[in-house]
Amino acid sequence: MEQRTLWSRMMAIDRRILYLILAVNIVGALMARVVLEPNIPPAVRSFYETIEALQPGDIVMVSSTWSAGTLAENQPQFEAVLRHLMRKRLRFTIISFTPPARDISHRLARRLTREQGYVEGKDWAHFGYTPDIVLAVKGMSEDIAQAVRQDVRRVPIQQLEVMRGIKSLKDYKLVVDITPSDTLTAWISFRPRDLKIIYCPTSVMAAEAYTFLDSKQILGMITGAKGAYEYEHLLGIVGLGTRFINAIQFSHVLIITFILLGNFAMFMQRRSRS
Amino acid sequence: MFDTRENIWAAFWMIGAAILIFALIPLLQTLPPRGRYLLIAFVTFIAGLFFAAEFFLPVDEKTGKNFLTDPFQRLQGSLQVITALSLGLGTYGLIRLHLRNAVQRRAQWGYSIVLLVSFVTMAFFSVWNTLAEKGLLGVQRTPLLERAFTLLFDYTLVQLDATMFSLIAFYIFSAAYRAFRIRSVEASILMFTAMIVMIGIVPLGKFISDSIGLPIMMTDEMRTNPFALETILYSLRLPEVANWILNVLNAPVQRAIEFGVGIGALAMAIRLWLSLERGIT
Amino acid sequence: MGSYQHAQDNWFAAFIIVFIAAAVLINIWRARAGKQLYIRRIPGLDAIDEAIGRSTELGRPVTMIPGLTAFGVEAVQALTIFKYITKQIARFATPMRLLTANPTVYAVAQEAISDAYNEAGRPDLYDPDSIRFLSSEQFAFASGVAGLLQRERVAANFMFGIFFAESLIFAETGNIVGAVQIAGTVSFTQVPFFVAACDYTIIGDEFYATSAYISREPVLLGSMVGQDLAKLAFGSLVVGGAVLSTILGPNHPVIQLLGKPGGWEPFMQWLSQVLGRG
Repeated sequence: MEQRTLWSRMMAIDRRILYLILAVNIVGALMARVVLEPNIPPAVRSFYETIEALQPGDIVMVSSTWSAGTLAENQPQFEAVLRHLMRKRLRFTIISFTPPARDISHRLARRLTREQGYVEGKDWAHFGYTPDIVLAVKGMSEDIAQAVRQDVRRVPIQQLEVMRGIKSLKDYKLVVDITPSDTLTAWISFRPRDLKIIYCPTSVMAAEAYTFLDSKQILGMITGAKGAYEYEHLLGIVGLGTRFINAIQFSHVLIITFILLGNFAMFMQRRSRS
Repeated sequence: MFDTRENIWAAFWMIGAAILIFALIPLLQTLPPRGRYLLIAFVTFIAGLFFAAEFFLPVDEKTGKNFLTDPFQRLQGSLQVITALSLGLGTYGLIRLHLRNAVQRRAQWGYSIVLLVSFVTMAFFSVWNTLAEKGLLGVQRTPLLERAFTLLFDYTLVQLDATMFSLIAFYIFSAAYRAFRIRSVEASILMFTAMIVMIGIVPLGKFISDSIGLPIMMTDEMRTNPFALETILYSLRLPEVANWILNVLNAPVQRAIEFGVGIGALAMAIRLWLSLERGIT
Repeated sequence: MGSYQHAQDNWFAAFIIVFIAAAVLINIWRARAGKQLYIRRIPGLDAIDEAIGRSTELGRPVTMIPGLTAFGVEAVQALTIFKYITKQIARFATPMRLLTANPTVYAVAQEAISDAYNEAGRPDLYDPDSIRFLSSEQFAFASGVAGLLQRERVAANFMFGIFFAESLIFAETGNIVGAVQIAGTVSFTQVPFFVAACDYTIIGDEFYATSAYISREPVLLGSMVGQDLAKLAFGSLVVGGAVLSTILGPNHPVIQLLGKPGGWEPFMQWLSQVLGRG
């Protein structure tokens, strides 16, 4: 039997040890107070500028289809976006395409709006959950009162003050899609042609969106909690993104270090064999 | 709300569809295999033609619709009914399996008991909560419901969901450690590209680039002179390289794959529409 | 009006769809007429039999996972592959599990797998409980699959369909139990995870080539040739469009026709002007 060298042991390191190291690294990084200044990618800057360009009183649709699973990535985005909308005194409505997403976004929005003095029904509304995004977007492009009928509190759409002068998605200025799933293509395909879209995916899903950024089908993107940190930096606020960024970047460093260590071990083992 | 006329039409459509389906079943059973195949192919073709015609027929400029658009949207809505029915079927299958496991004391039947108890508990409080929320059947919210709902959903389901997603971070670590080995030129390129992107997209990338003295900003002068040393050094900043990889390498590759996938899906759809695909049909 | 909801939004896009359909159908007809067609080797698909053999040797089950795939062309393709795998394992009476998160896929999978056992001449081996709908919730499904992979120590794990963040949970758990893993997906973002944790990964439109590769049926091979021609046309459009856009500028009617909804009308106006002048 071949004698197990240090290098072969390093190459076949027990994955539980790796998990432990990562967990310690994340906890340590979350507690660290050092925050490095971000580089703002063009997609984040244009995300910010698209909202900045809106006028007070303009209405924005926030498509929020995320739940507890991706809370660490989508909640920082959701909070920062709502803060920005309220700072600009914009009206907004939220819609979700899964029931857990409705519950979580409604609860969070109620908390955030209360802090900023926004009144539900007057300054903002939650349209609840609709199962089929294609039908919903198509329907709302024609007539929101007909497609959605009532908000999450069962108030008919026509009676909502926030919807005064708004008949369909054609009257909206912007859609913010916050999601880990594939809702973006439905928004791109079925929205009214002139309605602008900005996008908040999870880090994994962001790779798919670069083609849409390139073709200007989406005007800006913030990627996961990292993107939220960059966006918070532009907004000048300290949110969840800022709190999470160290955990993200130190995990990246840790993974790279271990990849290099693994390769070094492989190299040394080959050398010792030859 | 649906108006009365709409309701009548909806009922008419549903009854018509039910009659058609129930008429087709005995017809299918009496037909010889060849005839059965032809009938199914014909129905599939007509159904597909409906969707294709809705797309290709010209639309009214004002409404953006043609005469098939409204029925098309209704049909899409009715697909949700099929999903709901099959959800019932799936749940029935799951419960039947685990009941059998528990009753017959098959291997690991304890897990089945856990599943059944969890299922019944969650379903009970979920239905109770929905009834109370909608004020149906005179059901009211009670402190027990509030406490149980918070415990089961907020403190259990939500946390379990978040835990499963968080596991991915650990799995990425172990998979990357195992897989990123320099065994070939391609693997080396892949590894170094991944490293640059991983560092370049986080603030550390900016910090490193600033620390080694690379230009911090793209000035107007640099823009007009792309081959100046300063411009070249600026473009070597880690965040710039990472953005370039994502926008210039990743996006076109993805687009090419998407073209292939889109064409493949369209070809498959055509084969299914014309009953040329014999895989599971 | 929406972006590309109807052919009228840009007749050129509709023309492309008709072109692809024609390319596929003409080549299917040619293949049926006896034209010999070539399909390149896809190592991941060659490894299916090897993985089944390993399962049989170890006497441990084979799992098939279509992921969160909703019922559509991807699900049909995935089930076609699973049907083929089932026919192969039926010969050796190797146990199988098909785990899905979509109830409609579950219902169709029951029929497809039952047919597979019938066609293999072993209807007695079909067990409806081996096809399982676990949950339509993404991570509840993921935990169900991970648990089953661990408990049953599966020897081969086939993942074909559309996957999201749960992909790595499946692939890494399969890796932990030492299963031979073959994945095929059109989900671009999940490919890196499958590549890192699986033995073979089938990427992009190779996924749609699978049934042609496995069955070598003329209809499917012909369709593949049609698809390749369509891809060639797309490639030419991309290169031609880039060159023309550089020469004519991005707002020229020809460029609008190639890439924008509503591009048909300015193009026709421009064309009539040009022809009128001519």
